[in-house]
Amino acid sequence: MNRLALALVSFAPLLAQPAPTGAREIMEEVQRRQKAASLHYEGTLEVSGGGGRVATKSWVFDRIGSFGESRSVLRFTVPAEVKGVALLIVNHPDRASDQWIWRPAIGREQRVAIQDRSTRFFGTDFSFEDLEERDLNQFEFRLASSEGANWVLDAKPKKASQYETTKVTVSKDRYTVTQVECFGKKGLVRTIQYRDFERIKNIWTARTVEVADAQRNSRTTLRYDRVDYNLAMRESDFTVDALRRR
Amino acid sequence: MILLRLISWPYAKKHLQRWLLTISGIALGVGVFAGMHTANLGVLAAFQRTIDRIAGQAQLQVSAGEAGFDEEVLERVRAIPGVRAAAAVIEATVSTPAGNLLILGVDMLGDRSMRSYDLESADDVLEDPLVFLAQPDSILLAKTFAEKNGLALNSRFPMRTMEGDRVFVVRGLMRPGGMAEAFGGSLAVMDLFAAQKFLGRGRKFDRIDVALDEGADPDGAGERLRAALGPGFEVEPPQSRGRHFEETSRMYSVASRITSVFALVIGMFLIYNTLAVAVIQRRTEIGVLRALGATRGQIRTLFLAESAVAGAWGSLAGAALGILLARGASAYIGGMLTTIYGVPLAGESAPDLRLLAVAVGAGVVTSVLAGWLPAHAASSVDPVAALKRGRVQSLGRSESRWRMRIALGMALFSSLALLFEANAYIFYLGFVLSALAAAMLTPLFSKAMAKWLRPLFAKLLPVEGTLAADSILQAPRRAAGTIAALMLSVSLVVALGGLARASHGAIRQWADIALNPDFFVTAAETVTARTFTFPAALADGLRTVEGVEEVQPVRTLRVTVKNGGVLLMAADVAAIERRAKLPAVEGDSATMYPETAAGRGVLASEGFIKLHGARLGETLEIPSPSGIVRLPIVGVVRDFSDQRGSLLISRDLYRKAWNDETVSIFRVYLRKDADHTATRDRILAKFGQTSRLFVLTNRDIRRFIDQVTEQWFGLTYIQIAVALSVAVLGVVNALTVSIAERRRELGMIQAVGGLRSQVRRMVWTEALTVGGIGLALGLALGVVTLFYALAISRRDLIGTDIGFAYPWQTAAILIPVIAAASFAASLGPAESAVRGPVSEALEYE
Repeated sequence: MNRLALALVSFAPLLAQPAPTGAREIMEEVQRRQKAASLHYEGTLEVSGGGGRVATKSWVFDRIGSFGESRSVLRFTVPAEVKGVALLIVNHPDRASDQWIWRPAIGREQRVAIQDRSTRFFGTDFSFEDLEERDLNQFEFRLASSEGANWVLDAKPKKASQYETTKVTVSKDRYTVTQVECFGKKGLVRTIQYRDFERIKNIWTARTVEVADAQRNSRTTLRYDRVDYNLAMRESDFTVDALRRR
Repeated sequence: MILLRLISWPYAKKHLQRWLLTISGIALGVGVFAGMHTANLGVLAAFQRTIDRIAGQAQLQVSAGEAGFDEEVLERVRAIPGVRAAAAVIEATVSTPAGNLLILGVDMLGDRSMRSYDLESADDVLEDPLVFLAQPDSILLAKTFAEKNGLALNSRFPMRTMEGDRVFVVRGLMRPGGMAEAFGGSLAVMDLFAAQKFLGRGRKFDRIDVALDEGADPDGAGERLRAALGPGFEVEPPQSRGRHFEETSRMYSVASRITSVFALVIGMFLIYNTLAVAVIQRRTEIGVLRALGATRGQIRTLFLAESAVAGAWGSLAGAALGILLARGASAYIGGMLTTIYGVPLAGESAPDLRLLAVAVGAGVVTSVLAGWLPAHAASSVDPVAALKRGRVQSLGRSESRWRMRIALGMALFSSLALLFEANAYIFYLGFVLSALAAAMLTPLFSKAMAKWLRPLFAKLLPVEGTLAADSILQAPRRAAGTIAALMLSVSLVVALGGLARASHGAIRQWADIALNPDFFVTAAETVTARTFTFPAALADGLRTVEGVEEVQPVRTLRVTVKNGGVLLMAADVAAIERRAKLPAVEGDSATMYPETAAGRGVLASEGFIKLHGARLGETLEIPSPSGIVRLPIVGVVRDFSDQRGSLLISRDLYRKAWNDETVSIFRVYLRKDADHTATRDRILAKFGQTSRLFVLTNRDIRRFIDQVTEQWFGLTYIQIAVALSVAVLGVVNALTVSIAERRRELGMIQAVGGLRSQVRRMVWTEALTVGGIGLALGLALGVVTLFYALAISRRDLIGTDIGFAYPWQTAAILIPVIAAASFAASLGPAESAVRGPVSEALEYE
C-alpha cells in the first residue's frame, strides 16, 4: 500500500465534495485530489544507517499519466559515480509494473524482475515494489478507525506482494496520506511518514517523506524540491528507447 | 590365538626383517590404492563442493550447452509455476597476474535470493548495488585470494577481458567460508551484465539457477521447465555438473584404478612369497604340531591368521602412506585438470574414512587370499615326512602339472575374452586372469630361465654364478613371488608406456593433418578452454592483416548427444576439406565432406562412434536452443579433438540452429613468404589491445597437446616408482630368505676357502638374476598387458584404435633401473651373509 502512498506525495486539489464514508471512497477521494497530468520533482535522499553513517543520493523524477497507468522516469544525479543511471517504471492497472534500469556505463537497460521487487531500492529503505503505483482495484480496503483528525484504513493487496497488509492514515481535513505502516508475515516491515505539506498548484504535497525500516533500524529521508505539476511531457520520453537515447 | 602367540610370534620375531619387508609390500599396495583413490575422490569432492557453494539455493539449473541462450529465456523460466526465483549466471575463467580466476557474473539486484555473500565491512555493495551497477569495473573477491595477492578494498586488479586488458576495482571482499571457498577461493563476482560485456557473451546467459517454491517437487518442476523450454535446454540439479566432470576425468580414474589394483596384487605376491617360504622353513615345526595332535584345520587357520595379522599391520601402515601419497597426487591431479579445463581446482586430500576402511579391508583380504595356498600347503604337510631332516624345495611334479593346467586354462580364457570385448565382465575377467596365469607360471618360467642362464654364469663367474643359478633352481618358490610381483609391475609399466607411445603416435599423425594452420587465434590461453568467444566479424579483420592467406572460423562447444557429452565443431567444412582433410575410417571420403558442408550430414569421430554406440548412417539428434537438429552420420574420421568424441557440422547450419554468430578459434594460414613472427605481432598489435586474443603458433598447439598427453600418462612414472619399490622390497625379501636358509651352505663355502668377496658376488648375482628374470618376464607379459590396455582405451576411454606400438624406449630404461634397484637391494643381505662366525653358520640347520 505504501507504493500507493508514495504516489500520493502530492495531492489533488481539495474540492468541495460530499464527505465519503467507506474506506474505498476515502482512497478514491485521496487519488482524485492529487490527480495531475504530470509530475516533476528533484529528490534528495539521505540514508542513515548503523554507526551514524549517512549516504546521500539525488535524482530527478518525471511522471506522466494517471494512477495505475502512469509512467515514471527516475534519473540519478548524485553521487557523481552513479549519475545517469535511470529507472523506468511503467504501471499497469491490472498487474505489477514493468521496471527497467538504464546503465549508461555499459549502454544497456536491465529489467527488474518481479521476484526482485522486494529488495531494497539501491540501499534506501524503500523497496522497488514501493515505487510502483497500483490501481485501487488491486486492494481491498477496510476502515479500521475514524476517530480524531484521521481515518485509519487497512489495505490488503489482492495480487502478489511482499506485504500482507498496510495500515494507511489519511488526514480528514486535506485528504492526504500522512502515514503508512507496512506489515509482512513477521510483523511490521517499514513505516512511511509524510511531512511538511505544501500546496502546489492546488495539490497538497508532502515535501518530506521518511521511511523507517523496522527490522534494520535504519531510516531514509526523501526531500522534494522543485515540485511541479501538469508540465508538458511526451509519452515517448517514457520508454526503454528513450532511456537509450538520453 | 595361543598358537599365534606361542608359535607364530617367536618365528616372526626371529625373522622380523623379513616380515617387515612383507608388511611393507602390502603397505605399498594399500598405500597406492588409498592414495590414488583419496586424491581422485578429493578432486571430485572439491569440484562438487564448489558446485554446491556456487549453486547456493538453486535446486535446478537450466542451460543450453556452452553456446548459452538468449536473455528472454529467463522470463520464460520465471513464469513457470513452482519457480520461486530464477537467477541468470555467466561463468568464465580468466587469466590474471595472480593466476586463473573463476568469474561468476550474477545479477546484483536480486541474486541474494539465490546465494548468500558474506561480505566484510558491512554489506554496502549488496545493500546498495547502485555503485556496483553504475561502475561495471567493480568486482567482489574472496578475502583469502585478495590477501594472498596483496589486494584490499578499492585495489585495482587487471584482467584480460574480451575487450582487451582492463583494470577492475575490488569493491567487496567475501569472508572465508561458503561461496568464497569455491575453486579454492580463486573466485570473483561481477555484475551479470558487465560480465556479458567483458566476457564477450553478447546478450546471452550461460545458465539460469532456479530456486523452487517451498515444498515444490524438483522433478515435477524440472519436467515443466523442460516442456516449456524445449529439447535444446538441459534442466538438471546442480549436482549433475559433478557427473559431467566425472565423465571427463574418467580416463584418469580408470588408469588410477588399474594402477592401484596392480599395486595390491603385487603386494599379494610378496605376502604369498614370504608365507610360502615360511611354510617350507617351518615344516619341522608343523610336523611336530601335527604329531602333537594339531588338526589340519588348526594349521591352516594358524597360517591364515599370520597372513591376516601381517595384512592388517601392512594395511594400517598403507593407509597412513596413502594419506601422504594423496597429498602429492591430489596436487598433481588438480594441476592436470586445471591445465585441461582452465578452472582452478584445489584438490583436497582429506582422508575419507570409508575409503580407508575399504583399503585396509582390501589389504587384509588380499593378504588372506595370498596366504591361502601356503596355508593349504602347510595343512597338507605329512608329519612323518616333515620330521625327517633335509629340505623340500622343488615343486612336486603333480603340483607343477596342476598349476600349469590351471594357468593354461586361464591364459586360454583371457585370449578368448578379447573376442568378447563388448562384454565388460568377460573382458576385464580375461585381463585379470592373464596376469594370474602369468603369475602362476612364474616358478616354471623362473626355473627354465635359471637353467638357461646357468651355463652362461658358469662361464662368466664359475663359482659364484653357478651357485647363484643353483640357488634359484633348487628353490624356485623362494624367488617366484618376487619375480611374479616384479613381472606384473614391469608389465604395467610397459602397458602404460606403450599406451603413451601409441597415443603420441596416433595423435601426432592426426595433428599433422588436422592441426596444420600456422596460427590458432583463440580467446583463451589454450585451445580447450571454451568460455570465451569472438564476434564473427573478427574473421574479416584478420584477413586484412598482411601475411594472412586464409582464415577459418570454428565454433566449438560441448553438447549432449546419445546421453553423453561430445564436442561439437562447427566450421566451413569445404575449407577444412581443402586444407585439413582427415581420411575416412568409415564412409566415402569423396562425398562425406560435401554432404556435411551442405548441412545434410555430420562427420563423427571414431571415438564418438565407439564410446556412444553410434554407427555410420545413423541419424543423430543434436539439441540446439531452437530445437533438435537431426543429421545422419555421413562419415567417420579419426579425430582426437576430445577424448569423449567429436562431431563436425557446417557452420552455416550451426549459426541458424544455435542463433550464434560467435567463433571459438580462428584457424589462420599464412602466405608462403610471410614472416611468421611479424605477422603474429601485426595481429596482436591490431586486435590485442581491444580484444582478449591469443595467437598460438602451430608449435604452441603441439606442445600443449604433448603436455596434456604427458600428464595423462604421468601415472607411468608412479607405476615405475611402484615397480622400483617392488624390485627393492622383493629382492631384499627373497635374498634375506635365501641367505637365512643357506647359512650353513654359505658358511661351508667360507670354511673351504671361499672368499667373502665371492660370497658377496654370489648374492649380488642372485639378486641380479631375480631382477633380470622378473624384468624379462615383465617385458614379455607387457605385450599382453599392453594389448589389454589398448583394448580398454578403445572400449572405455577414447574409443579409438590407436594401434600397437611396443615401448622399446621404456623397456630400455627399465633394464638399468631394475638392475640398479636389484643390486642396491642385495647390498645389505650380501653383507649379512658374510658377517658372523663361520662356525656358527656351520651349526645352523
